[in-house]
Amino acid sequence: MSDPSVTVVPAFWALGAAGLLGLLASVAAIVDGLLSARAAGAAAGTGWSRPAGEVARLMWQRRRATVAADTLLWRTGGAGLLVMALMIVTVVPLGAWTLFDLDVGVVWFNAMDVLAWAFVWLTGWGANSAHALVGGYRFLAYGLAYELPLMFALVAPAVAASSLNVGTIAAAQQGLWFVTWMPLAFLVFCMGVLAIAMWGPFSAAVAPDVAGGVSAELSGVDRLLFLGGRYALLAAGAAFAVPMFLGGGAGPLLPAWLWVLVKTLALLAALVWLRRRLPVVRPDLFMEIGWVVLLPAVLLQDLLVAGIALARS
Amino acid sequence: MGLTSMLHRLAARHAHVLLVETPGHWLTRVAAEHHLLDRGWRLAQSPADADVLAVCGTPGVELATVADRLWQQMPGPRVRIGIESPEQVRHALDIAEADLRDITRQQTDSRVRRGGRGDQTRPDGHPTGGHGPHGDHAKGGDEHAGHAGHAGVAHGDMDMAPAGIPLANRGEDRDGLELDVLHVRLGPVLAYWPAGLVLRCTLSGDVIVDAQASLTDPSHRTPEHDSASRSGRLFAARRCDNAASLLALAGAHDAASGARQVRDILLDPDGAADAPARLARLTRTVRRSWLLRWSLRRLGSLSRSDLVNRDLPDTLEGDAHDRLLGMLDRASRAVAEESSHRATGQPTVPVEAVAELVRGWDLATARLIVASLDLDAAAPAREVSRV
Repeated sequence: MSDPSVTVVPAFWALGAAGLLGLLASVAAIVDGLLSARAAGAAAGTGWSRPAGEVARLMWQRRRATVAADTLLWRTGGAGLLVMALMIVTVVPLGAWTLFDLDVGVVWFNAMDVLAWAFVWLTGWGANSAHALVGGYRFLAYGLAYELPLMFALVAPAVAASSLNVGTIAAAQQGLWFVTWMPLAFLVFCMGVLAIAMWGPFSAAVAPDVAGGVSAELSGVDRLLFLGGRYALLAAGAAFAVPMFLGGGAGPLLPAWLWVLVKTLALLAALVWLRRRLPVVRPDLFMEIGWVVLLPAVLLQDLLVAGIALARS
Repeated sequence: MGLTSMLHRLAARHAHVLLVETPGHWLTRVAAEHHLLDRGWRLAQSPADADVLAVCGTPGVELATVADRLWQQMPGPRVRIGIESPEQVRHALDIAEADLRDITRQQTDSRVRRGGRGDQTRPDGHPTGGHGPHGDHAKGGDEHAGHAGHAGVAHGDMDMAPAGIPLANRGEDRDGLELDVLHVRLGPVLAYWPAGLVLRCTLSGDVIVDAQASLTDPSHRTPEHDSASRSGRLFAARRCDNAASLLALAGAHDAASGARQVRDILLDPDGAADAPARLARLTRTVRRSWLLRWSLRRLGSLSRSDLVNRDLPDTLEGDAHDRLLGMLDRASRAVAEESSHRATGQPTVPVEAVAELVRGWDLATARLIVASLDLDAAAPAREVSRV
């Protein structure tokens, strides 16, 4: 609306966006499959077919119910992650096109990512199982630590571009990507994405020490939706980082939409790779880091960005 | 139906396996783990996640009951196999894959389940209320097998019992908050958990306020399968396996895979000669990771006097991180010396001490502490049979 460089495409393109998100999530799953097959010394072929194999397996598997489960909330939570990821990509411009040119796109992302609190917790709660419940608690503990730094990390690009519109923020980085002068905000944003997807260092909520935590009792299509939701969130988070920090569609030779995809894939692959390299950060330790280190650091980053923005105007 | 059968074949090629290790059958479990990862299968973390239940060794009555319960909790399509020795592993896994693909067999299984016997009114009813999915069901009347979780929640206050599960009692936690008290069993079947060990925990939130440790089937003890051939390499492989468990629990996936691979090389009679070099590389990686040190230091610290008081071996001195490095160092030394006089010297840990060490910690920390104790599956058994 505010930015002429972004055109809103008709609503039926939402299907295309969903397909694209599915594709990105599949790529993430394949990369993860290849990396873990290599680490386990298994044949590389099993890494390639792992996502397809998992989907076939889970579609075939029977759905399970537990005794006195809160079925409605349980299923809502499990399927919710995927919905969240889809809602996030609606505001991400693919080059010149966007589905939803919202004036407050950044706030929209924030509103969506907070939904993870409810969905993950409900998935843990609904199954009526102690291990799943512990997983839910762990996610909330992470949430208390990552959410505020994440919010203030989102503030930095918005201040620099004087807009909450994602397209405008992307356009404001034609000369210099925001990641170069607000690296800390970028890192904290990536950390937030990992935490929302319960990925790598933030996977304590689905850890093997509590038999899979939140996902301990999920089977069949419920597990598929939950797993797919995690991959989709990772992909959606990486896609959102592109207009916020990585210059949107800016780049030589290739068309803008292709640059967005290339950057998204690169960031996504890096996030997937991190999982195998970093140990899990225990929620109690991360609480300290989140409040004592990350929050003040991100606030300082915001102050710096605000100062520069003031000086430039 | 070409597409359907193709999908089934694809699914069967990516099966998830829940391993049940009978104490004394460590070698069988390790061989099963090696072969199933090799064919691109994965280890299941809970029965809900499993297609194949693989019981390694001949379980005693208690463990067999637990395995039956796990079997009932599996969603299906499902296959159950028993593996008696490392040599049988490959064949057993082939059978499991064939059975998973056998559609008529799976349909029959599902029909039989649905037909159900008396207590199985729900086709997929599992004992999960208030307690975990693993092996924590043997408490209370076994005649209720597969039925609601009577064992999960504190008894006593029976006024309200939705779905036959009494509500949890309340108790004060370590910070003086009044929280629901849950009784949760850890083990005997749990990923990266010492075989045969059961911890009955009283949880408030996820903090273990009380715990009792025991062993499954203390009278049913098969002699250690491998006791005749206790070599330095075997001793080292065992240390690597325990280190892999601790690393996996700490979430260091690559390091855990590395430790597992070194273990498999050490166990392979014609394994590559570069095992010492790979072990050294693994030790270096682990030692250098400051994130790992940060996450494991100060967990379950034991001073020399603690060890003496609790009758624990002096290899356990320090915190979880020290003990992790200790495991890898002992493995390196055993490989280098190739002699058996050190190898037989893995001292025992009294099973009650395990319970004492986890009291007051949260679940995640407790799991790391138990894994850091470097237990031999058979070690607590001897200790208990002496008591």
